[in-house]
This record gives sequence, structure tokens and C-alpha cells, in this order.
Amino acid sequence: MAEPAYTVASDSETTGEEKLSATFSETAIGIDIGTSQCSVAVWNGSQVELLKNTRNQKMMRSYVTFKDENPSGGVSSQLANEQDVLSGAAIFNMKRLIGRVDTDPVVHSSKSLPFLVQTLGIGVRPLIAALVNNVWRSTTPEEVVAIFLVELKAMAEIRLKRPIKNVVLTIPASFSRFQLTRIERACAMAGLHVLRLMPEPTAVALLYAQQNASQNTNTGSEKIALIFNMGAGYCDVAVTATAGGVSQIKALAGSAIGGEDLLQNMMRHLLPDSESLLTSCGLDDIKSVGLLRVATQEAIHSLSSQTNVQVDVDLGNGTKICKVVDRGEFEEVNQDVFDKCASLIIQCLHDAKVDTEDVSDVIVVGGCSYIPKIKSLVMSTCKKQELYKGMNPLEAAVSGAALEGAVASGLSDPFGSLDLLTIQATPLAIGIRADGNNFVPIIPRSTTMPAQKDLIFTTAHDNQAEALIIVYEGEGKKVEENHLLGYFKITGIPLAPKGVPEIRVILDIDASSVLRVLAGVLMPGSHQPVNPVMGVRMPTVDDGHGWCAEALNRVYGSTLDLVTVQRKI
Amino acid sequence: MSNKHLLTSLSSVLRRTLTPTSHFSFNSTRWFQSGTFFSPNVKTHHRLFPCSGLDFLEIHKIPGKCFTSSQSAEKASAKCWNCSAAAEAVPFLFCSSCRCIQPVDQSVDYFQIFGLERKYDSVVDNLEGKYKDWQKKLHPDLVHTKSKEEREYAAEQSARVIDAYLTLSKPLARAIYILKLEGVDVDEEETLSESELLTEILEIREAVEEAADSQALVQIQSQMQEKLKHWSNSFANAFRSRNFDEALKAIRRMTYYERVKETIVKKL
Repeated sequence: MAEPAYTVASDSETTGEEKLSATFSETAIGIDIGTSQCSVAVWNGSQVELLKNTRNQKMMRSYVTFKDENPSGGVSSQLANEQDVLSGAAIFNMKRLIGRVDTDPVVHSSKSLPFLVQTLGIGVRPLIAALVNNVWRSTTPEEVVAIFLVELKAMAEIRLKRPIKNVVLTIPASFSRFQLTRIERACAMAGLHVLRLMPEPTAVALLYAQQNASQNTNTGSEKIALIFNMGAGYCDVAVTATAGGVSQIKALAGSAIGGEDLLQNMMRHLLPDSESLLTSCGLDDIKSVGLLRVATQEAIHSLSSQTNVQVDVDLGNGTKICKVVDRGEFEEVNQDVFDKCASLIIQCLHDAKVDTEDVSDVIVVGGCSYIPKIKSLVMSTCKKQELYKGMNPLEAAVSGAALEGAVASGLSDPFGSLDLLTIQATPLAIGIRADGNNFVPIIPRSTTMPAQKDLIFTTAHDNQAEALIIVYEGEGKKVEENHLLGYFKITGIPLAPKGVPEIRVILDIDASSVLRVLAGVLMPGSHQPVNPVMGVRMPTVDDGHGWCAEALNRVYGSTLDLVTVQRKI
Repeated sequence: MSNKHLLTSLSSVLRRTLTPTSHFSFNSTRWFQSGTFFSPNVKTHHRLFPCSGLDFLEIHKIPGKCFTSSQSAEKASAKCWNCSAAAEAVPFLFCSSCRCIQPVDQSVDYFQIFGLERKYDSVVDNLEGKYKDWQKKLHPDLVHTKSKEEREYAAEQSARVIDAYLTLSKPLARAIYILKLEGVDVDEEETLSESELLTEILEIREAVEEAADSQALVQIQSQMQEKLKHWSNSFANAFRSRNFDEALKAIRRMTYYERVKETIVKKL
């Protein structure tokens, strides 16, 4: 499963796959795997169509039940009631767990879910298990996503009466490149080929570009839109500049906050001192938490349309909750989440170098877009009186993915409806560890892709013959706040006082979004690198990546450190 | 923020701003070609290194005045590699009869890509629109199902158009680029020798460090903007009268003011 550190074969493999997809009939489908709900859409020749399952649903719950011999997912199986999903046998919210290590706070907050999430706190993949006949049966987030994808694939194949291979998947903007490899892995397990992974708000941006292409035929008039997408697991923001069907992503921002956090905060509010109950793995406790979860979920839904709601639930363990909750309480217990949402919008506008008065449209989509507080906070942060209408909040992302699928499959439309393009930007900064424990970005976030940037570093010690290049992705100032992508060593640096050798590190993201890290050594007065340059395709890390950084630190300390070159004035 | 930190961030900022158009202190063509460790599928280094500043090195290989209009006219007789139709437009990046992307022609400069006269103050009206029009024809996403050859052309052409757009849309990058086209290199590593500028730099740096609040920073920011505007005009005049020493002097100042601006943005 480990990727080869040096790319030789993998490129030709993907090229081979792409050739397979060259047949005209194979229009890639768009899939939106939500934390809570999934949907599939395809370009049907004249418009985007959402596919329905046998129960005539466009939106399917994202969960997999391990009740019987064969696991079954929310696409095909029909559960008698919500309670069955919460009995311990069903695994859900996988999008919050995939590609995360057991030291990640998001993983820890998932411990209150009614299945087993075990963490050892050493930076490895958490243990996930479903309760089958009173035994915790282990699985992995990749496996759960793959089982679910197999069902979606089968459903689409029945609806479209053709085999499905190519897909465009939407992903949260805050996903690291390591998490993307996990998603690709799940797709491969399901027999799907990923044509494109699109950050969710950029898929919405493409749909917006299409809706606006007909209105402003003059490519000169550019419209700037802010897209706010908040589902159960993630909140993403994008600023896009659209003209003539081309959507240029100016900036992206995202965070793993969503409806799940609102729900958990509310559960804790309704049942104070419930921490031990929430994280308990006892069968009765799981049932009680399940009941609380369903009741809280319903209350939150009600609060979107009414100002207060009566919560009446018997948790079966002697505890009864009988309480009237008003909207103000809900907003108060979730103040931190709402503040974070606002700060993402502010950051995104800042990165895009766009003022609120330049924004023509503000688009709010995703499951949380029904919450009045979300709508009002987005409007007030963007200084707007109203929101963009004309998009179904739950279908926008998957529709955008289907459009991208059609465009990437080489389809054209006689009416120009597919005359579209998204110019993507990097959602997170990528850089290396230098100047002690600092993360030094080389490609800043929101850089137009493809991109190539370089930075020059030097040795931290006299006569330092080797240096570690440790590559991270993220926004934190310290390396440990970021995602580790990989590492390699530069050797054979000629002995010299510290600060003399130049270590040039180049980061390259090509048109297929593949990241390569190159590093070489130069000595003053020479125009040739001392040794062959190292070129490593990233990410190279596997699941134990938190552990890797720790191990590197233990073995090498600061002996192989780098520092940024100081400019002389 | 200590002196050291400021310097560090300044240096990284400068390098970042200048990367697409900077001249490296070594021969980067050889640097990149020295590695055959990349994918064997990659025929040229351009696919891997679309914005590496290699374009300049390529330009320098062609001596003297190779960008005269007569040469450009000759280019118009070029043929499409795919359908052999004669090029009907200059620059010929895309064949409109078979909708096929053409290989990168290094002799087409960034100004020509956007149909602009090679002047520093060429009216950059709706550059973004023109850039998007090109991307709509050249972007790799659009040729996903086409031949490997054309996909490579798309990757190179689209990266070059991004580079051209970013270069021409920023006054400093545009200034450095246009000087390069005249065969004048800007050495970003050079040590400052003008004592007058040195003093000014130290003063501004102190002001930034000691700025009490964001309002003070914003004020310095707008001062920098004024200075940039002033020196951008000086550059335009110097370039027009082909006074390259004076032009370089303007670039040195613009470089510095840009760095201050970036530092302030980070602090704000």
C-alpha cells in the first residue's frame, strides 16, 4: 500500500488509467460523500440529474451497518428506525475520521458516537469497531467509505445501465493531501477511478459559474461570489471570481466544524455531566446516548423553523429529560462554532484580497444552511442584506461535481452549458520544518494551481553533512500543528561553516495536483548542485505519521536542522 | 517581532514574490536536467517545472533582438501540429480549426500572449478576462481525454499563461520581466550599496517594528503604496528612454517597498 518514495511507475499507471477513460460514453459521475448524507449526480446530456435509490431518495444516509454477514450501507438497506443506526452496529461520520490519527481532537470528539473509537494517543490510526452479536468487530474508515461507495456505484450502474468507473468526488477544503490519499484508497477498494477531487465549495463555484455564464456573455464582466458550505462534519469557505463560465478560486478556507459539533454541544447542554455516559461503550449506555442523539437532532431541526421546542426523552437508564429549549440557548451553547465560522469567512476574504463590497453574491449551502443563525452570521460578516437564491443547498456540491465530471470527460454541449472551467487554488500551505520547530511555508495557501515555488535554506550547524527535509501541510506556525506529508534526507553536504551551503527546496504541484518535493545542495561560487537532486513525490507517510515525526525527533534531535536564509541588506 | 524574524520573513517574502521571474545564481536548466530521476514519461522539464523561471533562460539563449515584429509575422505562417491548418492568429497557442493546443513557443513573450505592446505601461485593461479566455482554451482539465501529447502541451501552456498573468499583473514583476526581455538581469541577491536607500530601509523597518497598532501599520502601508506608485512611474520613464541604470534603481526600491508591504500584511 505504501507509495514508492521516488516516482517512476506510478505516473505511467495513472496515464494508463486515463486512457481507459477516453471512451466517449463514459461520463464521470459526481459523488458527494457527506459526513451525514451522500448523493450522486450525473450530466444526462442536457442537465445535471441526481440519481435516486430504490426507495426514491436522492439523499442517502452515510452509514454502514455490520449487523449480518455482509455489511450494508445507507444506500440500499432500510432500517426500521433511527434507533437502529445508533445501536452500535452502524458506523457513520467516517468523513470526520478518515486519514486522522488518534491524537487529533476531531477523532477524540468522535468518541461520543455510538460505536467504538479507541485511541492510544500515539499518532496512529484509531481503532474503529462496530458491535456485532456483542463483539466489537474492527474495521477502518477507508473500508467503511469503500463499502458505501460500492453501494453508490451499484445504484448508479442500475440507474444509468452502464458500468461506472470514473468519478469526481467532493472533499472538504481542510483535507490534507494525506487524507486525500485515503479517499483515493477507498475509491480504489470500491473499483472506482478518481478523475478529480474537488473541494466542496469549488464544486459549488462551478455550478455558480454555469448559472451565470448565460447571463453575462461578455467575459469582461467578472462577478465575485463568496461560498459558505457547512455540513455535518466540515465548514468550508471559498471566494471565486467568475467570468464567462470560468471560475477562478481566489481563496479557500476550511475547518472540521459542523452540525456534529452543534449536536454534541447541545447534547451536553441537555444532559450536563454526561461525559462518562457519552464515551461509554456499554450496551445500555450506547442505547441511552442514541436516544439522546435522536431527540437532540430533532430539537435542532425544529429550532430552524420555530423559536422554541419541547424536548421530552426517556433515556431508559432512569434519566428523563423534559425541557423547553429556545433558539437563544442553542445559539449560546454553540457560540464558539459560530465564531469560528465567521473567522473562516474573514480569513477567506482577506486571502482573496477582496472587500465585502466587491462581493456580488453570497451563497450558503450544506445541511447547516437551514439554521437561522448561520444565515444571519454569514450575511452580517459579508455585510449583505440577502443571500443568493437559485441553488438547492443540499444538491449544489454534488451538482457541481457532476458538471466537473462532464467537463473532465471531454463532453461538450450544443448550448454551451458545459463551456466551463474551474481554476483551482491550494487549500492549505505546504512547506518544510526549519528554524527550529517552525513550519516555513513554500507554497502559501490559495496559490493558483499548477504551481511551483522554491525557497533557499542553509545548515544550522558547522560541518553539517546531512539535512532532513520534513514536509508539512497546514496553517499552524509550529510543525506539530500541521499535517506531516513525508520526509527525506539530503546527504553529502560539503563540510563548511553553518550558513554557507545553500539548500534549495522546490515544491511543485502539477496539473494533476501531484506534489513533488525537490531538494539539492549548492556551494557558493558553483552553478552545479553538489550531488544529484532529490525528487520525492508526496505524501509518502503511511498511517503512523504522528509517530514518525516523534521518532525522527528522538533519533536526530536538531542535528540535521535547516534554517531559512537571511537576506543581506 | 525581532530584527532577525523580520529579516527572515522579508527574505521569504521577496523570494516568493520574485520566484516566477527571478534569475537564479546558478544555471537552473542544468540543475533540473541533472535529474533523470523523474517520471520517464516526462519528455521536457517544463511539465514538471512550469513556473521555474526557465523561460528566461530560454530567452537568453536567443541572442539579441529576436522579438521584432517581423519575426512575429513569420510565426503566423506556423502550422497546427495536429491538423496542419495554418495559424490564423498571433500568438498561436491554440488552433481554432481543430481546437488543439499547440506546443509552447518560447519566443512568444508574455506581452504577446495577451496581445499587448511591449511597453511597461501597456494598458493592462481586463487582463484577468483575457487570462481566463486563454485558460478556457488551454487548461489541462479540458483535455483530460485527449492524447498524452496534447495534455502535456496543455500543462505547459496553461502554466505559462498563469505565469504571464501573474507577472504582468504586478508592477514589480512586470518591470523585472520587461528588463529581462531587453537582456538586463536583475540580481535580487545583490548587496545594497546606496547608503541613502540603506538608511531609508532601516528607518522604515524600525517604524514597522515599533508600530503601536494596526492603524499605524496601515498608514505605513499606504506610504509604501505611494512610493511604489512613484517608482513605478520612474521606471516607466527610465525604461522608455532606455536608461537601464535608472530602471534598475527603481526596481531595487520597488522590491524593498513590496517586502515591507508583505511584512505589514503578515503583522496585520
